[in-house]
Amino acid sequence: MSAPRPPAAWKAALLRHETLLLAVLVAEWLLFYHFGTTTNRRGLVVGFGTLDRQFDILRHSCEIGLLALALTPIILTAGIDLSVGSLLGLCAIVFGKLWHDGGLSIPAAAALTLLAGALGGGLNAGLITRLRLPPLIVTLGTYSLFRGLAEAITHGAVTYTDFPASFLFLGQERWLGLPTQAWLFLLVAAGVWLLVHSTTFGRAFRVIGFSPEGARYAGLPVGRCLALVYVLAGLISALAGLIYTARLGQAKADAGTGYELFAITAVVLGGTSIFGGRGSVTGTLLGVAAIAVLKNGLACLPVVIRMNAAEEMSGLLTGVLLLAALTGSMLPKILSPLLRRAQSG
Amino acid sequence: MKRYFREISVTLALGLVLLGLAVFAPAFYQPQPLLSLVTREAPTLVIACGMALVIICRQIDISVGSQFSVCSVAAGLLAAHGWPLPLVVVAAAVIGAGLGAVNGVLVAGLRLPSIVVTLATMVTLRQGLNLLRQGEFVNLPDGVQWFGLSQTAGQWTLVGAALAVLVACGLAMRHLAAGRWVYAVGTDAEAARLAGIRPQLVTFLVFVLLGALTGLAAMMNIVQSPQVQPLAGAGLELKVIAAVVVGGVSISGGRGNVWGAFAGLLLLACVAPALTHLRIEAYWEKAIQGAIILLAVVADGLRSRPGKGGRG
Repeated sequence: MSAPRPPAAWKAALLRHETLLLAVLVAEWLLFYHFGTTTNRRGLVVGFGTLDRQFDILRHSCEIGLLALALTPIILTAGIDLSVGSLLGLCAIVFGKLWHDGGLSIPAAAALTLLAGALGGGLNAGLITRLRLPPLIVTLGTYSLFRGLAEAITHGAVTYTDFPASFLFLGQERWLGLPTQAWLFLLVAAGVWLLVHSTTFGRAFRVIGFSPEGARYAGLPVGRCLALVYVLAGLISALAGLIYTARLGQAKADAGTGYELFAITAVVLGGTSIFGGRGSVTGTLLGVAAIAVLKNGLACLPVVIRMNAAEEMSGLLTGVLLLAALTGSMLPKILSPLLRRAQSG
Repeated sequence: MKRYFREISVTLALGLVLLGLAVFAPAFYQPQPLLSLVTREAPTLVIACGMALVIICRQIDISVGSQFSVCSVAAGLLAAHGWPLPLVVVAAAVIGAGLGAVNGVLVAGLRLPSIVVTLATMVTLRQGLNLLRQGEFVNLPDGVQWFGLSQTAGQWTLVGAALAVLVACGLAMRHLAAGRWVYAVGTDAEAARLAGIRPQLVTFLVFVLLGALTGLAAMMNIVQSPQVQPLAGAGLELKVIAAVVVGGVSISGGRGNVWGAFAGLLLLACVAPALTHLRIEAYWEKAIQGAIILLAVVADGLRSRPGKGGRG
């Protein structure tokens, strides 16, 4: 049996996961543009096809995008972090509490919030690397713990508001043409891209994802690499919590509930293998865009507006999309033995 | 003795909490409130039995809360349409089994990781239900609440049913070949395959069983009130997983039993009343639940850590 010839370069580029996802994204955008844009009675264009709406999509995708960026290195190491959404909520509350009740200035409160996020990630990291516990159950525990702490601090009822305009600028205004938080998002995206694609750490993440024992025998600092990705995730979740607070102008205990699903979906949709070892930050960014366009586009469709069900529809479709992406990623593995049998038989 | 260390230590902890309540808050032991507490936990116990099997099989299912809601609403609607009660019970279990089969096919058939699959089905089911029902309550006809019995008789029926499921699962896991298959697959799926067991089939079946038990539990929950709340199952998955893990079922599969899960559930069930009696605010419940899960897995991690003191 001869080895299969490598396909031509342009063919390989065309069939890459990212290219396919980009095509899906463009198709999705055009569909929503066609069905979601209307002209109102005064002759103004409203709905999906306006520039304002596009900026809105960017604004709304920053928090989930940040969480997805945090999850990409983790999933590359074959780990998972279910606690990012809860940590986002806890950090929003910590920030509100420090500023409102603690009397700290905004920068000091923000710095301490980032520290709290890193500590939260550090708790995950410590349990996972020191005690070698499965990330799944550790982060399921902290998922409950972080959200519970947020509820305990606020007694389930208090919402912190009345933040100064200088802070709200971060979440509600534009800077150099783009929504302010988009710049932070791009900065983090560039940082994570560099970490994953052009440092030895990024290579180590993949090796750990393929085989943690192999990585250990190869002399890689497995514990330190894993600690790095989980602490980084905590830090980025805290930043997402700050941006969430600035966008809504309030810090509440249920901030970011269910965001982990959207973030994991974006990562898996972006072609990162849930079993670790394979994936890219570019894919994650495209996945985030696909989900953000879906969420916002649905809210513009007349039929969804009539049913008043944008939230439910986007949740439902994201769940289905995740299942479809997972199934799609497994199809070649399942079909290839069948195809081979058909060819030889 | 050493083999059942975790089960024994959880039972001891439960004993201590019960003793503490007896000394500091004897009001906890008034018969009627205590029976109500136990009845409220009965559906959770039924799901915990199924969840213990799934986790012993080295899988997890976080969609049980959503399955619970879907089964509750479906059973409520069928009862409101005038179906006879026994038929509704069967229908609830069948619907649950169907939902479990979806997870089972995706996990066992396509070999996808159960955590991501059930995360997706959790949200899909929950949002699908919201979309269809818009959070509407279902009013149940007369004769459904407490199966048409008196309240006390109904409560004892539910507690008896839950204990029957527990005993059946406990005995089956110990003495039936099928029960041992679950342990074998959870310990080492490849070794189990070489020993002539079909791991994918066993995995599929434990998901179906968990679904059926969840349907049954939903039924046991809706007969306790005159209306069906569509949000009844929200957050249930954490409570169940916490009970199972605290009860000594190892999250890495192959270890534990439903008796431990029972003790773990009782321990967690005592947390809320203990908080009230000790005048700690109820907002802490979720945080304490998370902390208990972490403590339980840390205890497992310390015991199984290689080369440290040689315990375990």
